[in-house]
Amino acid sequence: MQKTLFGLVALLALLSMVLGACATPTPQIIEKTVEVEKIVEVEKTVEVEKTVEVEVPVEKEVVIYNSYNSDPEPRKADEELVKMFEESYPNVSVQHSIVAHEDFKQAIRAYLTASTPPDVMTWFAGNRARFFIDKGLIMDISDVWADEGWNESYPKGFQAMSSVDGKQYFLPTNWYWWAVYYRKDIFAELNLSEPETWEEFLVVCETLKENGYAPLTIGTKYRWTAAAWFDYLNMRVNGPEFHINLMLGKEKYDDPRVLKVFTDYWQPLIENDYFIDDPAAYSWQEAVQFMINGEAGMYLMGDFIRDSYPDENEDEELGFFRFPIIDPSVPIGEDAPTDGFFISVNSQHPDRAKELLAYLGSVEAQQYMVDKLGRLPTNMDVDTSSFTPIQQQGMELIQGADFVAQFYDRDSTPEMADEGMNGFMEFWAKPNSIGAILERLEMTRQEIYEAE
Amino acid sequence: MTKSKNKLIPYLFLIIPLVLYLIWVIGPMLYTFYLSLTKWDGLSDPVYIGLRNYEKLFRDPVFFTSLKNNLKWIASFITIPVVLGLGLAMVLNRSIPGAKFFKASFYSPLVLSLVVCGLIWSWMYHPANGLINSVLRDIGLDTWTQGWLSDEKLVMWAIIVVAIWRQAGYVMVLYLAGLQGVNPQLVDAAKVDGCNGFGSFRHVILPLLTPVTVIVVVISIIDSLRAFDLVSVMTRGGPYNSSSVLANFMYIEAFNNYKMGYSAAISVILFLISAVFIFFYLWNIMQDEMEY
Amino acid sequence: MTNRNFFNSPWRTLGFFLLILITLLWLLPFFTALLTSVRTNDDILQQGFIAVPHELTLSNFSTAWERGGLSRYLPNSFIITVPALLGTLLLSSLSSYALARFQFKGNRFFFFLYVGGTMLPFQVLMLPVFRLTDALGLYDTHLGIILFHTAFQLGFCTFLLRNYMRTVPSEILESARMDGCSEFRIWWQIMMPLTLPALAALATLEFTWIFNDYLWSIVLLRTDALKPVTAGLATLQGQWIMDWTVIVAGALLATVPTVLLFIFLQRYFIEGLTLGSTK
Repeated sequence: MQKTLFGLVALLALLSMVLGACATPTPQIIEKTVEVEKIVEVEKTVEVEKTVEVEVPVEKEVVIYNSYNSDPEPRKADEELVKMFEESYPNVSVQHSIVAHEDFKQAIRAYLTASTPPDVMTWFAGNRARFFIDKGLIMDISDVWADEGWNESYPKGFQAMSSVDGKQYFLPTNWYWWAVYYRKDIFAELNLSEPETWEEFLVVCETLKENGYAPLTIGTKYRWTAAAWFDYLNMRVNGPEFHINLMLGKEKYDDPRVLKVFTDYWQPLIENDYFIDDPAAYSWQEAVQFMINGEAGMYLMGDFIRDSYPDENEDEELGFFRFPIIDPSVPIGEDAPTDGFFISVNSQHPDRAKELLAYLGSVEAQQYMVDKLGRLPTNMDVDTSSFTPIQQQGMELIQGADFVAQFYDRDSTPEMADEGMNGFMEFWAKPNSIGAILERLEMTRQEIYEAE
Repeated sequence: MTKSKNKLIPYLFLIIPLVLYLIWVIGPMLYTFYLSLTKWDGLSDPVYIGLRNYEKLFRDPVFFTSLKNNLKWIASFITIPVVLGLGLAMVLNRSIPGAKFFKASFYSPLVLSLVVCGLIWSWMYHPANGLINSVLRDIGLDTWTQGWLSDEKLVMWAIIVVAIWRQAGYVMVLYLAGLQGVNPQLVDAAKVDGCNGFGSFRHVILPLLTPVTVIVVVISIIDSLRAFDLVSVMTRGGPYNSSSVLANFMYIEAFNNYKMGYSAAISVILFLISAVFIFFYLWNIMQDEMEY
Repeated sequence: MTNRNFFNSPWRTLGFFLLILITLLWLLPFFTALLTSVRTNDDILQQGFIAVPHELTLSNFSTAWERGGLSRYLPNSFIITVPALLGTLLLSSLSSYALARFQFKGNRFFFFLYVGGTMLPFQVLMLPVFRLTDALGLYDTHLGIILFHTAFQLGFCTFLLRNYMRTVPSEILESARMDGCSEFRIWWQIMMPLTLPALAALATLEFTWIFNDYLWSIVLLRTDALKPVTAGLATLQGQWIMDWTVIVAGALLATVPTVLLFIFLQRYFIEGLTLGSTK
């Protein structure tokens, strides 16, 4: 047996030597890309020669762009943007890959540590981007910000979101708002108006319930929809400052103020049966159906809810209002998750990557996204006169806020968010065990933040 | 077993597959063992922290929930599909009209990937529109309708049912193959000796099928311990970890929580549990094969 | 027993119909899937599942085909699956032959290695394997993912094939040896044909696994142009939008190659092709 073991160890040692020897010649892959370029290039020149008589063929340069816009509409827009960029920069060809949204989040760590990473990637603003920036994996793009004049054309808030120690690493390009969406026609039928305070909101819930509607729909199969309730209740009760400090691990989860959010506000909603039955069985989108079918009145949701609402009914049926104010003395906080782009620090084509990034942040590209998808732009030079009333209302909602948060799972660390959202689900099933749940969350918080 | 004159021959057969296996599987596996002693976010360099991951693991309630779920899975898997598969194989091994159709039907779930199975069954379990609740409502059993995947007590069993649905046909095929090797004359001889149908099954066929049964049980255990896709597609371990199994727990720790070291520790535990079964199995075949 | 007098016994007839009932129940999820794939999303969500569909459509299949880019991804799936499948079957039959038929130092240890390797939840290997692939310069290449699949499936295949090969009576091999056959010839000309049923069963299983793999394709491949069909299917599932009917249709489309292979190979293991020499 010993001999066998020895043989194995020797074999492993040999293997590691082989591996070590193999580790150097990475340029193989670069050669590959060049081949691809040439093929593309030949096709192009043939086309060019048809129109223009004399044209010196230019060697095309490649930039690799991976994005997570896998929903049908955003996907089309994303592909179109790349095309528009290639038209403006005829000497650059974009190698574009779209990865399913959930999987992109896992793949990104492979991307960022690969020897040939994608150059430009989509990502989330805030803490999620900060995580990679702090590890030194993201390229400093202060020069792009300066050259493009973004320091002037982007609001200070977005600038701050993109900067670490005065340098910019991130480009925020679009965002959306959260609000309570409701069925206008049901409200009209029952003579209800948009509630502004918590008391009014509870009256609306009760009226809907008495008339046989489920006041609130929600699908918590993937948990984050419940986190929105926590975000808003906590911000309305304890204020955005306390909320963001809790997210950053500076406040305790077993704080009586946190407990109050659950026992005084959230629990009554659940125990009064204001939510639909069995929310954990539905994805957020399946739960929209209760609204579409006219069984439920309201849904706390991001603006993307409109993408899955039937277009023909959207205008008459779907409206939204600001999450009701609980304590008027508390500043108003809103969730407005922002997405954008960054460049890998190991990018093999940094100059082309910056060109692509500059284009994605330009007025032209943002205007396109606004017109095409109805998302809100970050660049203030974008013409907002063509905004629909809904977009105007959304802009005003956020402009009227004292503080803008990203979202529970974006403001917190992934691990804390995971535990937290599990806690919310458990609370939903067993509201009375909230004390124990918060104690457990507090233990997790200590482990995460105090270890550092 | 041959004791070859040329001692090199078996190694010549082994060398290429073994090298490949060592590089791509055993190497990363040993590396995982090492990682379980570190704190690592998958981006920077791993930091050695001794046995801290394991200490934490044994205080983590999710670990025990997951472990319990894996054990439920194993217990169901080495009984229900085995009995079902064996029964089907016994029935379909006779010349029944349409036997080919029946065999193909029971085997067919195996053609679907686990992800697709998970998707389809999520549909079946859908509380409002799903087939199961719809049927229950239509036949007046409203009270029986459930949120199959949202009830913490039901969810694990609901998922295991899917796994069994897929596994039974697999076991059936393995037994059918095994039955090919059973000499019909032996069964006839048993009948002459006065054994009835079940008697000959129990005293003649079943013992002859023992090698197949051993393989079936080993495969069932491997599959139970590696269970991942169904849970990942159908519930992602929810609601609040009640359907979490070790592989999912590990996956979330690694790829959501950025705790590669901790998740490596979970894998090592999972491996050690498996190792118990492997040793038992190897010991078992060693006993058998001594007779050669 | 012929089919004609099968139904003479009332018990047997009863049992037969029971069997049919169970089989239909077993196939129910398939019908569910098929039915879902030809209905529209709105129809299902508004009518409920058990309802006479207002309209039947094949558009889900074409939507899945186009939006999932299946025509683009499908060739990649074969480029990855076929070599990996052949490689793993060939190599595992080599190692199984050694482990099943020879007594040598380390036999049990190597067998343990193979079985043990299959026991680890492979998700944990993701980052180490990614690092390794990247270091070998095989990141984002087909060769990398083919080699990985080949190696990774070796454990399970060796486990099954070794056990199968042990059931082959040694007299057959001995007589070949007496005739002066080399071990490689015995393996190729005698053992391999005898192992055919097991190889066919394994091929179906392994094809299903490798063809349906998604996890490794996102870890080891970066470029869309190289990815297999599962990556295309995954993009049908957006960040927000879940179009059940299209997803199920896409899933069914992706199952077609496996079904074809199954139909082609099933006679080797379902009908139990006996090779005659063992009895």
